[in-house]
Amino acid sequence: MSGATVRIAREEWRWLARSRVALVAGVLLLLLIITATFTSVQKHEAIDEARARYQSEQIEQFYNQPDRHPHRMVHYGQYVFRPLAPLAFFDTGVDAYTGNMVFLEGHRQNSANFAEARQSSLMLRFGQLTPAFVLQTLAPLLIIFLAFRALAGERERGTLRLMLAQGISARQIVSGKLIAHAAVAGAIVLPALLALTIMSASSGASAQALLIILGYCAYLIVWTLMALVLSALVPRARDALLALVALWMVTVVLLPRGLPELVAASQTLPTRIETEVAIGRDLKAIGDSHDPDDPYFNDFKMEVLARYGVSDVQDLPVQYAGLVAMEGERLTSDLFNRYAADANAREDRQNALVRTFGLASPLIAVRQLSMTLAGTDLDNHQDFLSQVESYRYSFVQHLNRMQAEQIPAVNPGEDPRIDASNWLEVPGFAYVAPNPLAYAGGRIAQSFGILAAWLAGLACLLILAARRLERIAR
Amino acid sequence: MSLFLAELKLTLRSRIAAAALFLLFLLAALAVWSGISLSDRQNAAIERVQAAHAQDLAAVARVYGQPDGDAGYGAYYTFYLTWDRPSPLAFAAIGQRDIQPFTLRVRTLGLHSQLYESENINAELALPGPFDWAFVLIYLAPLAVLVLLHDLVAGEREAGRLRLLLSLPGARGLWARRLGARYLLVLAALALPLVLGLMLTQAPLTLGAGSLLVAALYLAFWSGLGLLVAALVRSSGGGAATLLGCWIVLTLVAPTLATSAINSAIPAARGTDLSLAQREIVHAAWDKPKEETFDAFFVNHPEWRDTPPVTGRFHWKWYYAFHQVGDEAVAPQVAEYRASLAARERWTERVGWLLPTVSTQVLLHRLADTDLQAHLAYQDSIAALHRRIRYFYYPYVFEERPFTAADFERLPDYQPRPSGGSLAWGSLIALGLAALALLALSLRRAHRVEMVQPTATSRPGRGFLSKPAFT
Repeated sequence: MSGATVRIAREEWRWLARSRVALVAGVLLLLLIITATFTSVQKHEAIDEARARYQSEQIEQFYNQPDRHPHRMVHYGQYVFRPLAPLAFFDTGVDAYTGNMVFLEGHRQNSANFAEARQSSLMLRFGQLTPAFVLQTLAPLLIIFLAFRALAGERERGTLRLMLAQGISARQIVSGKLIAHAAVAGAIVLPALLALTIMSASSGASAQALLIILGYCAYLIVWTLMALVLSALVPRARDALLALVALWMVTVVLLPRGLPELVAASQTLPTRIETEVAIGRDLKAIGDSHDPDDPYFNDFKMEVLARYGVSDVQDLPVQYAGLVAMEGERLTSDLFNRYAADANAREDRQNALVRTFGLASPLIAVRQLSMTLAGTDLDNHQDFLSQVESYRYSFVQHLNRMQAEQIPAVNPGEDPRIDASNWLEVPGFAYVAPNPLAYAGGRIAQSFGILAAWLAGLACLLILAARRLERIAR
Repeated sequence: MSLFLAELKLTLRSRIAAAALFLLFLLAALAVWSGISLSDRQNAAIERVQAAHAQDLAAVARVYGQPDGDAGYGAYYTFYLTWDRPSPLAFAAIGQRDIQPFTLRVRTLGLHSQLYESENINAELALPGPFDWAFVLIYLAPLAVLVLLHDLVAGEREAGRLRLLLSLPGARGLWARRLGARYLLVLAALALPLVLGLMLTQAPLTLGAGSLLVAALYLAFWSGLGLLVAALVRSSGGGAATLLGCWIVLTLVAPTLATSAINSAIPAARGTDLSLAQREIVHAAWDKPKEETFDAFFVNHPEWRDTPPVTGRFHWKWYYAFHQVGDEAVAPQVAEYRASLAARERWTERVGWLLPTVSTQVLLHRLADTDLQAHLAYQDSIAALHRRIRYFYYPYVFEERPFTAADFERLPDYQPRPSGGSLAWGSLIALGLAALALLALSLRRAHRVEMVQPTATSRPGRGFLSKPAFT
């Protein structure tokens, strides 16, 4: 790095520090990031604490139920709350849009309820105050504001010609400006870096935190390069500003909003009711356990009788109705899983389409990267739902087995119950947070690839623009 | 008038102004198309659901509509479909329609274990917010105003025409005329696609006129702000930067800060509480003496007090009674939950008194009936249906009358709520006052530009765009 480059970078910083507007804008953004980080961490802790409290309260209540028929407990059910990912404070992702409480019971699949966005006024749709929101949306604007005149301004005032005449090459000038503004970008990321380091240290998500920081650095450098390229290409500073703001508008505000509607129109998601009705129809087609002549359940009966070596259900050592309940639950759960897989696949196709278009907007790439790494993207929620469904299945089957084994097959009495100590044998829901690096490695690499492509493309453009600058000024 | 027409033509001759206006028009048209497409999709989904539900209902009627049918089983297995169609104006302001369920089935069990079910949505698509006309108005139109107004005064000064302009006859109304021309052009670029959409969806005239009024006031606010800034700043670059700063604060920073404050100050956790509480009450009933449940039930339903008593282990009348008792017992939590949502709405409206972006959002979505209030009204219509269902089955269940195929023909129908678009007067007045105040202030200030007659070469200062030469 030549002395001239460093001198230019230092001069640029001196100007930024003396410009009141630049200083005020910079300080405001910094304050905003700090506020966002603090409120977000606070909110995160409050939500996490509340969900953990509800979760432990509900399992406590489950264990404290009196002697009952196990089937009563199947419908007493359980409530499951989604724990927040440790880095969710940084980027809440879809958390406000997906429900966080699911009621689990036998042969029904209930939805995740009480999503914050559904309980808030529409103002929430302006955006949520998180460090990610500030870095994705507002930080590029600050970079634009500080850098748009870096080259165009020199050209307007004729100082560019002066510098070239002094023997400083355009390449040196451009790299000096780049260093100066890249450092500004670094300063913007700094508070977020601190917060992420502190928060991830205790949770063992350091690798994710590091990648998030890397992603945002790349994203902000993309904007720095973009600002300098336009500042070099457009002769008037004001026009450079307008062009950059227009670019910001399109890539940060317009494309992310416009794409989903295009995508949603191309791929229909079935409503819950349609799915419920279809599952009911499929179940009927398999067999009806209430129908004594039903071929499927007659085969099932034969198979059970053969397994126990008896010729009549009365002679079974277990309660036949309990076995039928278990078989029914198995069939229903299979269908739930099949329909959920189909719906997830549709959602994935929609999101993949957005990501492909995301080539046109670095924001879409960095947003995806940030959500995935923070553990708040849709895949993570789908994974939570599938863990919930497999827990639902195992807990219901636990109770069904108790019915088969402990409720007398003959003469059970009018109100058969089993001992309350049985409930303690049902394990509580233990959520295993998936590791994004394991389940979404490809997607993370893809996002980094898009950002790298933007960086490389813009760097080439900047080199070309520097050459052009030299030609024009001489 | 001819002066004004000349001003319109002059504005359109600027390439950048014409491009900004055309872009705004194009985006507004796209947004209208996108909104209509979403409305159509939701209507189509409702029709699909209705067809699926009809099949399901027919199957239930076949099984349980026997000559000696038990109303208890009929009630247990019969779902009732409810739906909430998009209002004719919903295409312009989609609001929460992309995240709230617009179809829901309920049956005679406890209402509050059914009412809060959510719909399958792709949350990642919902995250950035819908692309509709309201978005184009609230976010993009101010930027068009910015492009058209930021150099209104400084541009003339920088071109060295300002002295000449102000000395010409007709200089008195110059800035008002320029402002008016630009304002009308932006309004037209937005209004044309909307009117087209309104004609397509055959929205009531009042709703259409209401949204145009809101757009007119909101744009008047931004135009006033634009002229004020243009009259105050020395350079056109400074004008652009200042207006952009205002835009960032009003559309990005202030609303997110306000949301964060409101949602922290008014938690809505009662929804979870009421669900947990209701389950406890309903399931505890299985282990309590039946008289306790019936005593609680007869408080609000004395008409069934003298029906035959329940002697066995199970009877449907007891089953439905404890479900209803569960709903009644959580009524205080439900009221608190609803109150917290209403408080969030109320505070949002108050924030709108200070932020025109928020008041415009409130106004448009109240007109389109797509806000939280609309969804709560839909929930109320579901609750009304649930009540009718209960009272439909009670005579059969309590008087132990058979429930036959003929009775399946008489099931209560869902009454969709009437389209409830209304004008939020408080927000309208606040927006109108903000618009008027800024217009008056800016015109007065612009008038002083004429009086002061600043020199063409303004003092080179340490402004944002002027910097000391590099040496």
